[in-house]
Amino acid sequence: MSLELTFWWLLAIKLAVAAAVVPVIGMVIGYAEMKLSAHMQSRVGPYFAGGRFGWAQLIADGVKFIQKEDIIPEKADRPVFKWAPALVMLGTMALLVIVPLHPSSRYGIVRDLEVGIFYALAISSVSTIGVLMAGWSSANKYSMIGGLRAAGQLIAYELPLVLATVGVVIQAGTMSMQGIVSAQVAQGWPFALTQFIGFAIFMIATLAELTRLPFDMPIAESELVMGYVTEYSGFRFLFFFLAEFANMFSMSVIAATLFLGGYGLWGINPETLLSPIILFAKVGVLVFLMIWLRWTLPRLREDQLQTLAWKWLIPISILNIIVTAVLKVVI
Amino acid sequence: MTASPSENSVSEAAAALDEFADRVAGAVGGRAEVSHGTVKVRVASSAWKEALTVTSGDLGLVFLSWLSAIDWTNEVAVGDEPDEPVEERYELLCAVSNLSDGNLAIISTDLDHDSPSIASVADVYPGANWHEREAAEMFGIDFVGHPDLTKLYLPDSFEGHPLRKDFPLLSREVKPWPGKVDVEDMPENGSSPSTENPGA
Amino acid sequence: MEGTFAHHLSEAAVSVELETEGMTLNIGPQHPSTHGVLRLIATVDGERATNVRPVIGYMHRGYEKLSEVRTYPQIITIINRIDWVSGFANEVPFVVAAERLMGVEAPPRAQWIRLVLTEMARISSHLVFMASYPLELGAATPLFFALRERERVLDLLESVTGGRFHPNFNRIGGVKPVYAAGPTTKKAGMDIPSGFLAETRDAMTKVLATCEEIENLVAGNEVFLARTKNVGVLPVDVGASYGVSGPNLRASGAGFDLRTVSDYLPYAEFDFDVPVGRNGDCWDRWWVRLEEIRQSARIITQAIDGLPSSPLQAKVPRIIKVPAGETYVRAENPKGEMGYHLVSLGGLGPYRLKIRSASFSNLSILPWILEEALVPDFIAIMGSLDFVLGDVDR
Repeated sequence: MSLELTFWWLLAIKLAVAAAVVPVIGMVIGYAEMKLSAHMQSRVGPYFAGGRFGWAQLIADGVKFIQKEDIIPEKADRPVFKWAPALVMLGTMALLVIVPLHPSSRYGIVRDLEVGIFYALAISSVSTIGVLMAGWSSANKYSMIGGLRAAGQLIAYELPLVLATVGVVIQAGTMSMQGIVSAQVAQGWPFALTQFIGFAIFMIATLAELTRLPFDMPIAESELVMGYVTEYSGFRFLFFFLAEFANMFSMSVIAATLFLGGYGLWGINPETLLSPIILFAKVGVLVFLMIWLRWTLPRLREDQLQTLAWKWLIPISILNIIVTAVLKVVI
Repeated sequence: MTASPSENSVSEAAAALDEFADRVAGAVGGRAEVSHGTVKVRVASSAWKEALTVTSGDLGLVFLSWLSAIDWTNEVAVGDEPDEPVEERYELLCAVSNLSDGNLAIISTDLDHDSPSIASVADVYPGANWHEREAAEMFGIDFVGHPDLTKLYLPDSFEGHPLRKDFPLLSREVKPWPGKVDVEDMPENGSSPSTENPGA
Repeated sequence: MEGTFAHHLSEAAVSVELETEGMTLNIGPQHPSTHGVLRLIATVDGERATNVRPVIGYMHRGYEKLSEVRTYPQIITIINRIDWVSGFANEVPFVVAAERLMGVEAPPRAQWIRLVLTEMARISSHLVFMASYPLELGAATPLFFALRERERVLDLLESVTGGRFHPNFNRIGGVKPVYAAGPTTKKAGMDIPSGFLAETRDAMTKVLATCEEIENLVAGNEVFLARTKNVGVLPVDVGASYGVSGPNLRASGAGFDLRTVSDYLPYAEFDFDVPVGRNGDCWDRWWVRLEEIRQSARIITQAIDGLPSSPLQAKVPRIIKVPAGETYVRAENPKGEMGYHLVSLGGLGPYRLKIRSASFSNLSILPWILEEALVPDFIAIMGSLDFVLGDVDR
């Protein structure tokens, strides 16, 4: 009985932490993006909020968004319009549940699933449905085009995303996130060394899933004003805003877990409390990479994006699977 | 107006311009005038479209610079009145140029002041489409055969043709331009300056 | 006939066609990339346009009518608001037109200063393009590099003319005498500010370095190339018949530059190249403008090295009255051919002033060039034409 209670209490605490982490992570990454982009562009970026370095900028932004009027277009499909941001946020939160921070399942992870990757990839698509809902329900042609572009993008890039992880699963022999990390810790090197093609494809597909430059056609300010978020304001816009950054984090966590060895680092005992820090450092590198690309590259065109997915990424990732499978059997 | 042109080059340039004017006038069957470095060829309004077809074809003046009109009239609501009476008419101008030595010719024709109407040249120079729409709304000239002679700048409900000289400038009616004061107060000009307000 | 198979088939075809319907997409007048207030009414099938109709006039200020009720010096103040990114360049052809009718010629030094400042306006205008065009394709960073350099050039313009955007510096018969220092040095200082020449030389070096930087950042970018190469191809003959001019026409392969064939400013005394594109696509239009910045920097460097000394003003009467006559003076402005057809009856103001602005004709190509284009390419093509709505609507 006491064991049962501990388990449920622990689970409740873990879920609360996972839920609280999303906005915090969103703000941290949002602030990082502001500052990094500023320095890439010979600006200083946020400066005054919070006294030093503008650290409170995103908190101030959040307060501002909450104060704003929640405008819903007259012709909008109200329930769908209202629930779309929540769905986007939900996808992000649910994704964090399976991230292994530490080898001990007691406080390292909310829930380790046998089919961890499967769950992660499935749940990461939920937010795209939210995007499609937002685009459809806004009763705005720009939103509509943006939502449809997002849907097309999802279909095109879900495949390489899944296929790129298959190589890792073959090598690790398990679909559990914890198991994949353990496999990498055990062998002493991350899968990125052997699965570098899969890693590259995974990162490209992740950018497309996140609709970040160079794949931000669903938003595309210069074409579609703001794409599917055009009609949103106030805290509903804040949801999209935070979800984008939190999504960056969660997708980076999965990439780091699958390809970069998760909390494991060569020569360091994974049982210590350094493990989560190591994981966050790896995530930080990946997030920086995304921000860097975001402020360097122009945007592709929708048809070029589809060509890239169907003609290049998918065949290459299938080839990667075949080679991995053959080598797994041979070696 | 180069900084220090030799007399020779100036006269040579003038001769070349005259020769160009004569060539254009001969080809389109019009009368050439050269003033201040600008070639103007007057044609009859019936020969307007034909003349521009020739310039865009045989003469190689393929570049459409602009097309517009002048309202020549003796009764003006704004601006200066002509000192000597002019023949009341609309003068339609179309400037065309080549893309090699930059010779530009303004083809000109006179339209009836009461009901100005002329054949459209939008199919000769496609760019004339917008210029003709502008001239139509600003001067009330009817371009026969134009594909879409709707208003270009002005709202659809706008009445009148603003660039006609009899169209008043309302702000000027309400408050005279302070520039008038400046002009009157200017000293040291032999004959007394014109107190004529350039405004309404 | 009624019951034949073919008849049923044709019936079926009709009903299939009726199911798909074009969507009318209204872009603007409030839209992030219309450079002001332009409205496009596009009929799109999916993302491909079947018909595009530009609607202009939101910025129409009626300068042609206003010119008829103003004196010549007053007109200069309004015409540099036509194309506000290169205000100085707008003034020059008008002033030259008035001078021609008066038979006055500006002294050499004034003409050279006009030339230097015109080229600076060209650099600043093209730098705005260098800033905004990648932004329209999604890359935000080149904006800051380009605008930083533009600021440098605008500072120089301001130091001479007192205005960053609307200099109002030209006078009929020369340029406005500048008092370099305080009131005590008025007589000695009736010239461009001391230090201007050295600062200009320095700024031009920096501008050239930034061109290099922008080229490295943008031109080597695969995504940028994919978005611009073979997009919005404009053949020379089509462009010319629409009156498209300036860099847009040169990108299509016409080596036509009014600076080399017209004599409104003493360009004949300078050594510079006219960059010409090959395909007439968006990429060429971008490249031609980048090269033109370099050539303008070259011209400016030559001009400040050999700036002749003379007064800044020719002898003109206190009250400018332009003798009766008419002339058309056109100039190579950053956006293309800018010209003024000036008709004077001998009064204080013109009888009629036709303003030929470059962007108007450059924009009129839109229905032709956007036919069958994709919505994302709308932005790529419109941006590459580099128009300013003030220059379109006048």
